[in-house]
Amino acid sequence: MKMRVILVCLCMIWTTAPRAAELPGDSLYRLDISLQTADGTTRMLSSLRGQALLVTLFYSQCSSVCPLLTAQLQDIDRKLTPQARRGVTVLMVSLDATRDTPAALRAFKDEHRIDDPRWIVARADATGVRLLAAALGIRYRELPDHTFDHSSVVTLADSDGVIRASSTLGLRGADASFLQTVRSIGEAAAATRLGDERLPRPQ
Amino acid sequence: MFLFVPVAVMALAASAAAGDRIPVGPADFTPVLAPAPKQTQVHVAAFLVDRTPVTNAQFLAFVRTHPAWRRDQVPSLFADGEYLSHWEAADELGRSARAQQPVTRVSWYAARAYCAAAGGRLPGWYEWEVASAANQTLADARSSPVWRARILDWYAQPGGQPLPPVGSQPANFYGIQDLQGLIWEWVEDFSSLMVSGDSRTQGDPDKLAYCGAGALSAQDRENYPTLMRIAYLSALEARQTGRLLGFRCASDVEGVP
Repeated sequence: MKMRVILVCLCMIWTTAPRAAELPGDSLYRLDISLQTADGTTRMLSSLRGQALLVTLFYSQCSSVCPLLTAQLQDIDRKLTPQARRGVTVLMVSLDATRDTPAALRAFKDEHRIDDPRWIVARADATGVRLLAAALGIRYRELPDHTFDHSSVVTLADSDGVIRASSTLGLRGADASFLQTVRSIGEAAAATRLGDERLPRPQ
Repeated sequence: MFLFVPVAVMALAASAAAGDRIPVGPADFTPVLAPAPKQTQVHVAAFLVDRTPVTNAQFLAFVRTHPAWRRDQVPSLFADGEYLSHWEAADELGRSARAQQPVTRVSWYAARAYCAAAGGRLPGWYEWEVASAANQTLADARSSPVWRARILDWYAQPGGQPLPPVGSQPANFYGIQDLQGLIWEWVEDFSSLMVSGDSRTQGDPDKLAYCGAGALSAQDRENYPTLMRIAYLSALEARQTGRLLGFRCASDVEGVP
């Protein structure tokens, strides 16, 4: 038993060390953040490496700008080429660590008809939220009535977690140049991933 | 056995640091920025805060035991290119950085990591504001023109002077030193300070940049010293460092919610 534990440990060091060494210094995946997704499973933020990432912070009870933010994220996703879409993960992390339980996040997904598995709606603990917001340059504060003021910024990271662009969404949604960047980074991620998979999957 | 040593070292560091932490509060406090629309006060639970800012010597000891925070090893996500750049080497202060000067050119991430290793955390903004509202005799001296003038004098000093050692100024009402007049200090929730310009109106498209009421509005516009702190902190990014930007640590009081 003991031996097996040691072996497992050794394997983990052996397989993760070279990969960790390659991670760029400014990668978001340097952050040690555990995400609990709407389906109740837990995964590390760094497990999203390999895909381009569109990430934003929100909270499900938000009634002002957030629904617009969600709609605009969906709009960006719709406007991607199929190839780019394959390379992009969309991550929405809740600011409300207390009230956005997996059940609340599932209700949010249903309400906004988010059913694509490339979309991850998740919560993190208060420290995780703070670290992620800091890295994304998002400013936020909780008000006494449990609503949040927060900057509505969508950030694009490449497949190594390096921030490549961000967009403050206004009434007209993301600008054309942001869309174009998402498209090209997404396509690059999808192409790399196909290269990684020795046996192409049937389409 | 391997686990034993760092735990012992951390316990030592924590007890040494905690010994120099001063109790403040609890307090019902009127911060300079209204915490929410139609609310003027915040309740600040009792907490402990370092008597002085963290020094170069203390931060050097931390970097030596936590080499991931050396300036030549820290990932660029966590610190900009000027991080600890005034030290002679990654693990030497040299002649330009004195042991008892407050450590500056540290990022928010680095400050947090130091405080965690020292058995604490960064103070919250309201905690910092409560502690710094005191002068030598009053817990809240903010309406005193002398309090304001002294701090504004510091802001008006020309840059480029070497920083004095920590603890050179008289202790305030609580026994805390250097909250004003030495350096800027990181707080844990600096990113919650969102300051609006007065010109922003209901129809302003900029308003969409924030979801919610958007920004704080000042309820005491005469309090320039604190407003300048807020303006400074609200413009920072977490990985940023500054020649006059340092920190001190805080911790919760045991048994107080």
